[in-house]
Amino acid sequence: MVAARRADPNPQFAEAFAQALPSLPGNLVELRQASLASFETLGLPTNRAELWKYTNLPRFIDQPRVRAAAHKLAAGTVADHFAGGPKARRLIFINGHLQVGLSHFGGLPAGVRIEPLDAALANDGAALTPTLKTQTNERSMTALNAALCDHGAVIEVDAGVQFADPVQLLFLNETGDAASMSHPRLIVRLGAGSSMHLIESHIALNDGAALTNIVAHYEIADDAVLTSDRLQLLKGDGTLVSKLHAELGNTAKLDLSTVGLGGTLIRNENEVWIKGSDTDANLNGIYLPRGTEHVDHLIQIHHDAANSRSEQLYKGVMRDRGRAAFQGKIFVHKDAQQTNAYQTNNNLLLSDDAEIDSKPELEIYADDVKCSHGATCGDHDEQALFYLRSRGLNAEAAESVLTFAFLAEVIDRIGDETVRETAKQAVIDRLPGGDLLRDI
Amino acid sequence: MLNVKNLHVAIEDEDKAIINGLNLQIKPGEVHAIMGPNGSGKSTLAYVVAGRDGYEVTDGSIEFEGEDIAEMEPDERAAAGIFLAMQYPVEIPGVTNMYFLRQAMNAQRTARGEDEIGAAEFMRKIREKAKIVGVKEELLKRDLNAGFSGGEKKRNEILQMAMLEPKLCILDETDSGLDIDALKTVAEGVNQLRSPDRAFLVITHYQRLLDYIVPDQVHVLAHGQIKQSGGKELALELEKSGYGDLVDAA
Repeated sequence: MVAARRADPNPQFAEAFAQALPSLPGNLVELRQASLASFETLGLPTNRAELWKYTNLPRFIDQPRVRAAAHKLAAGTVADHFAGGPKARRLIFINGHLQVGLSHFGGLPAGVRIEPLDAALANDGAALTPTLKTQTNERSMTALNAALCDHGAVIEVDAGVQFADPVQLLFLNETGDAASMSHPRLIVRLGAGSSMHLIESHIALNDGAALTNIVAHYEIADDAVLTSDRLQLLKGDGTLVSKLHAELGNTAKLDLSTVGLGGTLIRNENEVWIKGSDTDANLNGIYLPRGTEHVDHLIQIHHDAANSRSEQLYKGVMRDRGRAAFQGKIFVHKDAQQTNAYQTNNNLLLSDDAEIDSKPELEIYADDVKCSHGATCGDHDEQALFYLRSRGLNAEAAESVLTFAFLAEVIDRIGDETVRETAKQAVIDRLPGGDLLRDI
Repeated sequence: MLNVKNLHVAIEDEDKAIINGLNLQIKPGEVHAIMGPNGSGKSTLAYVVAGRDGYEVTDGSIEFEGEDIAEMEPDERAAAGIFLAMQYPVEIPGVTNMYFLRQAMNAQRTARGEDEIGAAEFMRKIREKAKIVGVKEELLKRDLNAGFSGGEKKRNEILQMAMLEPKLCILDETDSGLDIDALKTVAEGVNQLRSPDRAFLVITHYQRLLDYIVPDQVHVLAHGQIKQSGGKELALELEKSGYGDLVDAA
């Protein structure tokens, strides 16, 4: 028998939906019901599905889950995870629920609007319907999000407005014994010639089996610039499934950095559509699975206009029985002449039981393009290890210094300094004998 | 200080002998030079003394200050006072030169049961030493060897040596790739470190370096053995006559 590409989801997803529906924001019953039906039809993808080739999703998330309950945290606990400096605006979510009292997103300059998703859906759900419907017939987790999304944000920057203060979306999870789920939705719209800096932090405060199933949309108009730093620091049984859909116009720019550490599963799907020419998309990421952690990146970059550039730089370090997958695909559609597209995926395998599956792909329909991809996998350079040890560093310290050095190139690309520092420390905390590197 | 007796070394898993019965004794305060053609085992000798993996001592012994060091890890040898200035220093992006040097110093001090060096003392010392070996202050803040020129890398090796204050300094072709000015600065740095308690083993292809770092003894290595030893004038003879006779004699 051929193994199935899908698995029927646990019935509790539908039960949780039926229970939640009356209280979900916005008058979107039809859309939500259709989305749930789509989720059930599409089912949970198994590793027989091409887009999930290296991650058997049902194994990680298919269990009875309740919608994560609201929860209170001390202001001090929350403040430990602030990023973006004192001027940043912040939306703070605990277990997926926006905490208006802890958040600060007022005092915005003219032309910048930040609206909590629940309010946006209640005010004018119809306006958001086309966005919410995106890919609900193709991606089951996106469909599940469309059915259940309640919190999140709609951020809009008008044409010509440069918003210098970073906006942090801080998702803190501290859940109880029951496996839970939340489905945040984030919509970011940058008008022509505008710019902003987004920070998306997912921080687990305990080992709870919380699933965050986030869907984000970036609409970046002509000449607009979006910097987005994503910090995903999970723990224990936590899981994160993230889908990003980005569209860029002419001469637009996206710098996206993702640091994904911890939990049982982190999956980041980034789908980037370059719809204008002279556009620049840079996607960077690091992952360091250890224990039995699993991190999966799926990147799809569509060059759909001439003369644009994209670059991917992803680096991973696998130890213990940690496993990572990197599938990076560059599509160059037929009108996208003079495309420059680069992809690099470098990996360090530091134990015999660790695994990396790296699958670079190019699909090119234009004839005048420059595309390259390179994937490497190896151990530390023996000459470099000896060099460090001959100066007095023990084996563990030498290996950790080299691991840090290997990742530093990507960490340095993170746009926000505070995120960069947090990422650095989170990486160092994962290195054996990391204490030695404390003030690197 | 260093006593190498009847040393035989093979590359691990290859059954290929590189050093075949080498004897060498270096006393504190002495400078020994080892010359020899490519493939004669010069760098292997340096690596084996410093403890690099991948080499197997099949016979003989290496004693440092009366102790057999064959089983010691490279970092233990470093803490004991052995330093190898490498022919090809490795580039380590993401770790600044200064930070690394302080970690290395403190790792050695901790291993010896000494107190770590304080930040102020470290800064004072590194500024002083950097001046002597001609390492610009800007290089101290850059990532370790990353994008350094050949000459900068070699000077940086000598700076590390000056900071770590080892008992035995091994210089593996430190002169290669250096122009005459850089060579003089490097040699000056080395000469400043000469002391009655410190010994040097200088490995080189060319006599030129030995004009500036004047050795007490010169050895000619070929086929993994010392074929001839003599005073500093031996280097000059070799410069004229080449290694031909010595190599053929094997």
